[in-house]
Amino acid sequence: MATNTEIGIAVLVIIGIIVSASTLFYTLDLTSRIAAIEEKLPPTLTVIGPWAGKEMEAFLPALQRFERLTGYKVVFKTFRAEDLAPILPAQFAAKKALGDVIFMWASFIREQAPDGHILEVTDQIDKADFSTGTYDPVTVDGKLWGGAYTGKVKPGFWYRNSTFAKYNLTQYIPAANGTYADFVTLLNKIEDTGAFENPIVSGDKDGWPLTDATEHFLITYGDPQLQKDLLAGDVSWTSTEVRAIFADRLVPLLAGNFSEPIDWTTGVELLWEEEYALYFMGSWITGMVDDPDDLGVFSLPGVEGFVFAADYFFIPAYTEHPEEAKELLDFLVSEEAQSVQVAQGGHLATNLDVPLTAYPVVDKRVAELMVGKELLLDLDDTIGGEFQTTLWSQLRLLWTSPTALDSVLAAIEAKAP
Amino acid sequence: MRIKIPPFFSLPALIRKSFFAPALILIVFFVVFPVLQTVYISFFSPSDEFVGFDNYFDVLSQKEIVNVEDVSKGLSQPFGLGALVHNMIWISIHLPLSLFSGLILAIILRDVKGASIVKSAIFLGMVTPMIVGGIILRFTFEKNVGIVNGLLTFLGLEQLTRSWMAYAETTLFALIFGSVWLWTGFSMIVYSAGLTTIPKEYYEAAKIDGASSFRTFFHITFPLLKPMTITVVTMTLLWELKIFDIVFVAAGVSGGPGGAANVLALQMWNWAFRAFDFNRAATVATILTALTLVITIWMTRYMVKK
Repeated sequence: MATNTEIGIAVLVIIGIIVSASTLFYTLDLTSRIAAIEEKLPPTLTVIGPWAGKEMEAFLPALQRFERLTGYKVVFKTFRAEDLAPILPAQFAAKKALGDVIFMWASFIREQAPDGHILEVTDQIDKADFSTGTYDPVTVDGKLWGGAYTGKVKPGFWYRNSTFAKYNLTQYIPAANGTYADFVTLLNKIEDTGAFENPIVSGDKDGWPLTDATEHFLITYGDPQLQKDLLAGDVSWTSTEVRAIFADRLVPLLAGNFSEPIDWTTGVELLWEEEYALYFMGSWITGMVDDPDDLGVFSLPGVEGFVFAADYFFIPAYTEHPEEAKELLDFLVSEEAQSVQVAQGGHLATNLDVPLTAYPVVDKRVAELMVGKELLLDLDDTIGGEFQTTLWSQLRLLWTSPTALDSVLAAIEAKAP
Repeated sequence: MRIKIPPFFSLPALIRKSFFAPALILIVFFVVFPVLQTVYISFFSPSDEFVGFDNYFDVLSQKEIVNVEDVSKGLSQPFGLGALVHNMIWISIHLPLSLFSGLILAIILRDVKGASIVKSAIFLGMVTPMIVGGIILRFTFEKNVGIVNGLLTFLGLEQLTRSWMAYAETTLFALIFGSVWLWTGFSMIVYSAGLTTIPKEYYEAAKIDGASSFRTFFHITFPLLKPMTITVVTMTLLWELKIFDIVFVAAGVSGGPGGAANVLALQMWNWAFRAFDFNRAATVATILTALTLVITIWMTRYMVKK
């Protein structure tokens, strides 16, 4: 015979089982009901991009327009490409992705696409709607693996109109058909004012702003084809042609005319505070100053091409919302989204349908500078990998040790494609 | 015949041991397995062919690790000597500086009123995340906004002002000297704790015997602080070997101008996540592990002996 205690324990166990089973059933039911509700709700897309602060504020209106059009919710998260590079491969290995649309280097997209980590978007994009060559960096074996949003051009040297007017320097700005000597004359005139630490402030962050300036010299005093050949690895960095551009055009200016490398955001402030007269920077500078209308820009005389760096993005294969992500891709490459973006300043459209009237005044000037010029891919971003960091670090070395030119070129060549 | 179960395998013993299981499983999955896998892939080529020690010979012959050409030029070209050499320079300068500055501060502040406030201020460097420390260092040595150049200007030495991180000759040294404040707090706190364990009678006896402060320090204080010195040396060595964040932030992903401040961990990161050459990166990781293992074994043996 069972004792009362044993009966009590048995009852408690049975009650426990019933409660547990009910809870489990209720939880499962609740989970499936939540899942059903979630299925009916518009999806939330996560966009990962490098922009923060003012640059992010300029990007959000485009995403908000997409939200209004589709009813989807879009969350933007800031991650620099440098930070994504170590994270994404590990995530891909685990078949996960940080976001549904991710802005990243074209070289990274090309690298990861053959391994099946990225959704193909060949059918989404008609290359004819975009500037020539825009999609080359994200094309592998004739297939497209990413979209090109707006981009930035590296047009030349920026200055403050008011500063130049104050020191009567405007008249010395070299004409487009001028010469290298005209450019040097301007630098000498700036020096003669005695008002500036150096004529040109050299922005630095890992070395990329120095690379931009160097590319401009190579394109101007070589030609656009030379830059393309360097990109393809058809010309050596130690060749006579390349060395001559460095030795005769760039290096003589490094001592005295270019400042030592300074944090590039500090460089913008120093230009604004009239510590320096000129700044070689991309078109995004217009979104970083208090009064963009006070900015002027000129290129090195005789330049026939500009580096245009599009902001590339891709859809990871592991997104939970592939169709919605493709809708976002369609929108971001459209005339509508890019018109919204360029209106914020600092960006130039890749979509050819975006009218000049969509640009603020200062960006319109940049767009006009580009008329008739060849648009080129960004050398270091396109090649990427070890070459990119080597180019950055070696140019940082050259800027402060111009006598190391030959070893700098040899080190770059050692990592070139 | 009854089989006698050894106490190690008795039920209570097994139950006790089973409590280790969750932690053990985690360690095996997240520490042991990745370490073994890293060592394993360091013996393979990117195409998964077994290559023996070829990766090691290859890595050690790379300019990024030991730049034989520049090392042979000595201090006439003190940049881009290679990550391994830079790590050694870190150890040879940063270790004695942070160790002795911590010791001196601990002794100076031993009997001072309000010393805990000063110690807390010094220890702030230690609790500051190294990434933040790196950003602070970067701007500390910046020409236009940095405190170092501000100080030089204040002292009338304007001609010495420069962006210290921009020059290959000064990047590494700026990082090393700058990071002493980040690490001195650790050595100071360890030595401060050690000083409290030395009996006051020793000092009283030395005083009666007429020993000078100098002799008291070298014959009583310093020898009795040996366990602390071992701890500080070991921890600092390990930190200097695996240093990454400060260099990454202050000198940039490329390790400064011409790679003048590149270190092993940064080179490993660059090979893994810039060049996607995981075999080379695993080789550097294994070399780093081997170096840290030597130091850890040395310290463990010392502790066991004690």
